[in-house]
Amino acid sequence: MNKFLVVVLLLAGAAAYSQGQVIAITGGRLLTVSHGTIENGVLVMADGKIAAVGEAGKVAVPKGAQIVDARGMTVYPGLIDPETNFGLIEIESDQNTTDMAEPSDEIMPHMHVADAFHAETELIPVARLNGITNAVVAPASNDSIAGQDIFIQLAGADRNQMILGRDVALAMNFGAEQRRRGGRGGKAEFPTTRMGLITQLRQTFLDVQDYVARRDAAAAKKNSEKSDDTRDSKKDDKPFKRDLKLEALIPYLNGERPVVIGVYEGYDIETIMALAEEFHLKVVLNHVTHSQDVLDKIATWKVPVIVGSIYDFPRANERYDAVFTLPAELAKRGVKIAISSADAGGPVSSHSSRNLPYAAGFAVAYGLPYDEALKAITLNVAEMFGFGDKLGSLDVGKTANVVLANGDPLDVRTDVKQVYIQGVAVPMVSRQTKLRDEYRK
Amino acid sequence: MHIHSLRRLEPRAARLLAMAALIGACLAPVAGSQQAPPADLLIKNATVMTASHGTIEHGSVWVHAGKIAGIGATVNAPAGALVVDATGLWLTPGIIDPHSHSALDSDVNEATSPVTPSMHMADAFDNRDKALYQALAGGVTTELLLHGSANMIGGQAVVIKNKLGLDRDAMLFPNAPGSIKFASGENPKRVYGSRDQLPSTRMGNFEVMRQAFEDAKDYMATWDAYNAKVAKGDKGAATGKDDGPAVPPKKYLKLEALADVLRGKLYVQIHCYRADEFFTEEAIAHEYGYKIRAFHHALEMYKVADKIAPEQTAIATFADWWGYKDEAWDAIPWNAVMSMRQGIRVALKSDSNDHIRRLNQEAGKMVHYGGATEDEAIRMVTLNPAWIIGVDDRTGSIDVGKDADLVLWNHDPLSTYARAQKVYIDGDLFFDATLPGLGTTHFNGVMHDSGGFGSDDEDGGQ
Repeated sequence: MNKFLVVVLLLAGAAAYSQGQVIAITGGRLLTVSHGTIENGVLVMADGKIAAVGEAGKVAVPKGAQIVDARGMTVYPGLIDPETNFGLIEIESDQNTTDMAEPSDEIMPHMHVADAFHAETELIPVARLNGITNAVVAPASNDSIAGQDIFIQLAGADRNQMILGRDVALAMNFGAEQRRRGGRGGKAEFPTTRMGLITQLRQTFLDVQDYVARRDAAAAKKNSEKSDDTRDSKKDDKPFKRDLKLEALIPYLNGERPVVIGVYEGYDIETIMALAEEFHLKVVLNHVTHSQDVLDKIATWKVPVIVGSIYDFPRANERYDAVFTLPAELAKRGVKIAISSADAGGPVSSHSSRNLPYAAGFAVAYGLPYDEALKAITLNVAEMFGFGDKLGSLDVGKTANVVLANGDPLDVRTDVKQVYIQGVAVPMVSRQTKLRDEYRK
Repeated sequence: MHIHSLRRLEPRAARLLAMAALIGACLAPVAGSQQAPPADLLIKNATVMTASHGTIEHGSVWVHAGKIAGIGATVNAPAGALVVDATGLWLTPGIIDPHSHSALDSDVNEATSPVTPSMHMADAFDNRDKALYQALAGGVTTELLLHGSANMIGGQAVVIKNKLGLDRDAMLFPNAPGSIKFASGENPKRVYGSRDQLPSTRMGNFEVMRQAFEDAKDYMATWDAYNAKVAKGDKGAATGKDDGPAVPPKKYLKLEALADVLRGKLYVQIHCYRADEFFTEEAIAHEYGYKIRAFHHALEMYKVADKIAPEQTAIATFADWWGYKDEAWDAIPWNAVMSMRQGIRVALKSDSNDHIRRLNQEAGKMVHYGGATEDEAIRMVTLNPAWIIGVDDRTGSIDVGKDADLVLWNHDPLSTYARAQKVYIDGDLFFDATLPGLGTTHFNGVMHDSGGFGSDDEDGGQ
């Protein structure tokens, strides 16, 4: 925390702040996410956490606190993007700046995004200026199992301060895209079909179970050998060889951490969910943009869903809003949803992460209740990835990731005025604002 | 400089009229119900954002015979007019996209030579592509379908009105001026560089253009000489013989098209990103005597806008795309408004089957990035793109005499929350979101799906 503060201060050149500075935001409209809207509210931040939140007059402003006058402004928790490639890509067309996926094999659970995450990416300050304070970073979707995600904070002195959680989820994918057809080198290789993809996944999971059994047996044997001093066991001294690929999957097969499954089509969703249930995976569905025919089923599975991109295209002869209405349709069925920033076409998702609130707003335009939309880019995401007790709402004790804007956070016209991360005002500067200021007449 | 109508469209328009007269539209295979639009339409009590003269609260617009006949707090519509009560709704001109590659079945780049000016996008236009429907549902009434950016001098654009359900020729914007697409920078470099061909660099880029125009000048001189001699009665001029038959020089489609650029008959639309390229392109335009109608993408215009403004070249830019390639690395979302403040006419464009569905939101972002007024923002997706296409005297604002290309929105169109409710083109209703099914009023056939995202990089001919 100390180092983080110091570095931010250096970046900001803002001598006004000091370690332990207490900040009270007063007079704003607080969108708490967890307990409704407070008109004319007070929010106090101290030691990186939210120390108090409530109506003006009912919350004491500590003596010596820096007062931020937020009259006419909206105050809300930092937004959380559930799927980005932050730090894995800088310029899409330049391969040297991308670490998006390892396409050499389909089963790559031992690829740790944490090992590639480039904390100093220019993309992060750009997104931060629009109120994004946290994100999941996932590998691209080339592989059936692409690797393990990290959960980050969009400010910090270095990589280690920005990564709040390593290996927080497994990135899995199923559908047409993962088939190896005429790809690298132009030749087809197994698996070229969905049958092949599913067989390969099932065999992998069986391999993990077998691996665990052998590892445990070896450990048990070793223990029993240790306890039996009289036995001569020279020949069995070779230690059990670890298999990093299989070992990486163990927590997921134990249901300890979520498996985020990227899948688009209704029939693909049914297929992959059958496999997931067979191995008791803790599933988060991702995308589901052509799932209109299995929405009720998704609800019965009681799995959370990252829905989108909301801008994915309907098929020919489908109504134009077949995808726009999906967040509303899922929420209506009681599904816990998150919304990601991904575009359909155009710039890659991480460059447009700053548009995350507009995707949520667009879902509102097509029937999603406003409060659900705000939750889908804050609290719901935090909960899906194990940070529900720390992030995602304006509640006492949570990390003070707070955004101050001049209007409705989901509207394209709204300007974010200040972002606080761990209770510190982050400099509202990016490479882009520097260019703007350099050339402004 | 006066730009003549694109001659090749005239026979089409004539054929269309003849066809409509002879067989009626009901025989068109894709057409659904095609009852004639009402002679008079009255949309009343809307918040009317005119794009040319501000916003009228509780305003009315009267449409007669497909044209806007009246606008104001009250209008003199006849009693028999079809009345649409637009209480609580917003009315804008139809959204105009000056940079689309939709509905071309990926026939975007003839990337077999860096100079292909005789390609006509109209020849690839598929009037049943789903991208047209999805754009219509986003309020888009007019599009400029451009050649891609693989070539320094690409093909000639087609202007369409998004009258989904009518036959192909009925969707071509009648008598719209012709435009031709140029490109420079990374895309031609990548496409031809990957084959070790010219142009692999920006040096190569611009020299290819100069050479093309030298060829065109030589071609024009040959014709001028021939015509001069014919005018003097020297019938043998072309053959060089004193008394041979009069044989004119051969017509070359490619050189004819380049000559049309030099003759000022085509609007020049140039794909380029970097500040230095704007200077180079303007210098070449001066050298060869044509004008540049618009730079497309133009993500670095904010750096040199004050110097380009006197050229009266507009830009068609993205609201906030950036970082997808090196020449988009200095893109900033304030580009549009900063350039506008320096005197550049600015339009926002999609270059995408996705963003074309929500250009109104892209305009809304300009309020956020740079503080555009509502009027300025709405103009960036209506009147300004109409000017770039050269149809601003016909559409792009709600003014008496203009085509009744109108969109009714359920919410402020510059917000995230707006949905197009009704879309009128030439006074005829083409989309109505309140209808069940697709919401189309003229289309009930089977859509085509050319796939992809409809951007010009995507089909770069690698």
